Amino acid sequence: MTGTFAHIRRLARHPSGLFGLLLLAAIILMSVSAGWIFPEGPWAMVGPTRLHPGVDPRFPLGTDTYGRDIVSAIFYGARVSLFVGIASAAIALIVGIVVGAIAGYFGGKVDDALMRLTDAFQTIPNFLLSIAIVGIIGASLPTITFAISIVAWPIIARLVRADVLRLRTYDFVQSCKIIGMSDMRIVFQQILPNCMAPIIVTTSVLVANAIIVEASLAFLGLGDPNVMSWGTLLNVGRQQLRTEAYITIVPAVALVLTVLALNLIGDALNDVLNPRLKERT
Amino acid sequence: MSKSFEMNRRGFLGSLAAAGLVPAGMVASGPALAQDAGGILRTPFWPAPTYLNSAISTSGPESFLSPKFYDGLLGYESGMVPKPSLATAWEISEDGLTVTFTLREGVTWHDGEPFTSHDVAFTFMEVLKVHHGRGVNTFANLTSVDTPDDYTAVFNLSKPSPAMMRALDSRECPILPAHLYEGTDIMENPVNTAPVGTGPFKLESYEIGSAVVMVPYEDYWDEGYPLLDRFIVQFVPDPATRAAMLESGQTDAIFLGMIPTQEILRIAEMDGFEMTTTGFEAMPSGLQLEFNLENEILANKLVRQAIAHAIDTNWILENVFYGMGQTGASPLHYDQRPFYTTEGVPSYPFDLAKANELLDEAGYPRGEGDMRFKLMLDPSPWGTESINSSAYIREVLRQVGIDVEVRQQDFAVFVTTVWTERKHDLVLYTATMGVDPTIGVHRFYLSSNFQPGTGFSNGAHYDNPEVDELLNAASIEMDEEARIAQYAEFQQIAYEDLPIVKMVDIAAAPTLASTRVHDFAPDALGALGSLKQTWVEQ
Repeated sequence: MTGTFAHIRRLARHPSGLFGLLLLAAIILMSVSAGWIFPEGPWAMVGPTRLHPGVDPRFPLGTDTYGRDIVSAIFYGARVSLFVGIASAAIALIVGIVVGAIAGYFGGKVDDALMRLTDAFQTIPNFLLSIAIVGIIGASLPTITFAISIVAWPIIARLVRADVLRLRTYDFVQSCKIIGMSDMRIVFQQILPNCMAPIIVTTSVLVANAIIVEASLAFLGLGDPNVMSWGTLLNVGRQQLRTEAYITIVPAVALVLTVLALNLIGDALNDVLNPRLKERT
Repeated sequence: MSKSFEMNRRGFLGSLAAAGLVPAGMVASGPALAQDAGGILRTPFWPAPTYLNSAISTSGPESFLSPKFYDGLLGYESGMVPKPSLATAWEISEDGLTVTFTLREGVTWHDGEPFTSHDVAFTFMEVLKVHHGRGVNTFANLTSVDTPDDYTAVFNLSKPSPAMMRALDSRECPILPAHLYEGTDIMENPVNTAPVGTGPFKLESYEIGSAVVMVPYEDYWDEGYPLLDRFIVQFVPDPATRAAMLESGQTDAIFLGMIPTQEILRIAEMDGFEMTTTGFEAMPSGLQLEFNLENEILANKLVRQAIAHAIDTNWILENVFYGMGQTGASPLHYDQRPFYTTEGVPSYPFDLAKANELLDEAGYPRGEGDMRFKLMLDPSPWGTESINSSAYIREVLRQVGIDVEVRQQDFAVFVTTVWTERKHDLVLYTATMGVDPTIGVHRFYLSSNFQPGTGFSNGAHYDNPEVDELLNAASIEMDEEARIAQYAEFQQIAYEDLPIVKMVDIAAAPTLASTRVHDFAPDALGALGSLKQTWVEQ
């Protein structure tokens, strides 16, 4: 844990990592400041409908079909995107780590059972399963988060299992067993800290993926209608793609930048956390 | 842009012709050649039909395709004025209990068999009264059909049924060949997808999910028709692709709003395209906001009227429907002539101050967070109009202190939530108002039609004995003047009670066609008729 600061410092010195961090910081700032800058909320119909960007300085990115300010929608949308991304990645992480660690450490029948379950989830196309879940239980922020995490955890489970499987044969694990340490302590205190690097890297991709899935669901009209997300704008814009393309382009750019930021951070983390590449950075 | 492309193509063909590569006759140089018939009509449609027979399914694709193969007893001129089709004359008895149809002689089915009154009797008694979604109600009072000779059909009614006379067209009530259906399982009969009708077109090929190809029936009774040489309906799932097909000339016409309104308006502005909104009178529909009167807040009439005042229906008309229609003003649709009226019908103009006043008066002052109370709004997921309007309604109601949550669900779940489980407060949906108010409007207002479990019935749980009496009387009133008066009174009372606020009376789904296509919306039925008068310049 003492290395955490060192890692962050190295991440900040990594050129693409720094760029990713700055981008992400800007997006977080947007989501935090949305309430102060736009106190009337993202739904207020404040201007004429379908105002193109640059026409009226009050609405630099224009207004949508309802006359809502697109800048305000982007700021509030950042909240939803980050929330869904982080919440569903967190759920996927917890489930994935528990399943993966138990399967890898205990092996045998437990491993077989858990891995077949993982297989079952992996054989169903992820996005289709999310659509089906949201379609059946209804679109709200918690159900969407659930639908995204339920399809994301198998990747983490497989990753953790492979690492645990390798580590449990190591001498330090054997000696822990000999001194009578409980299985739970061995798994969570000794083994898991040693396989955090790939998990952290995968998590950044998981967050990015969750943000995309949420936007895609909203784009298809399966977003939470009470929450302004970038996908909501995409869905509104899709219907007038030929006439008011900017309604689609603006949130799409925001999505691209967010996912880019997360991917850059993921790549940089991969470099930073890989001991063999220490010299390179 | 399309114009310059055409010029280029013409120029290109011209140079080919000059080079002797193409016969010179292929290069049209002036305006259209003298021609008033023929041609191939191509149109995209979605979804693909289950059957090619609208007697057993009332869904969109069947309603569009079936009238090309089958005829009805009557047709309707603009204004729903009946005109002859398979029936050449009809006579309604004084008491309204018998209707005698004189049938056309010399009509044959596509397989050569003669058409007789037996086909009519069989179709109404065995098919339309049993398997047709709306027919069950429309023909509830039809007890038997007598066939004194081959060309006379006598309908015997237990009560007068004025609405019936507006439902005898080829889309609503196609006449089926008794010799192919009798004694078979009607829903499973192979003729359902390989139609044998008396209509102007016969089926040449049907590739399921891909295309229906129709060619003229050479022995069609209306000599000289149909004018087209070939009629091709392609099934294309993506609306953007359908629009691109029209723009690029791969298809000739778009019927029944098969592309989004804003695309229709955009393309209609371009050279070489023509738009019309006539020819859809058989299917007037509206967007309406219904209150669940079992909710104690909504049971208060002042609250309902406040909500009506808070919503600018003109905003919805302009921004969701792109001006294609009229703002709602009555339970009836403006196309339901001659019964529609706004005279003496209360109106609720957009007025936020008035809405606030009414809500205060109703005893719901603003409380925490400036909100008075919370309501759930269920928009129908059918199409995009209800969902798009719900975002607007939520925002304006917030301005008068009503905290609205929008619940968006799958269509089947939506119907169950509202009409079976009744867990709703506000519900917003588009519905067909019917060729006659009896068929489409009564269901929302009759107390006897409060039937949990039946979708799009009286979901408000509205119960006004006066309204029940008026509607029940109007459904069997044969004197049109008296019926007009009954419906006028109904509209006044129902819009004062306000179990439902009509947001928008939707205009006929516009037909958009290349200017090469002629006579594509000839009567009240338009594209839901046979299109036998349509022709295309080639």
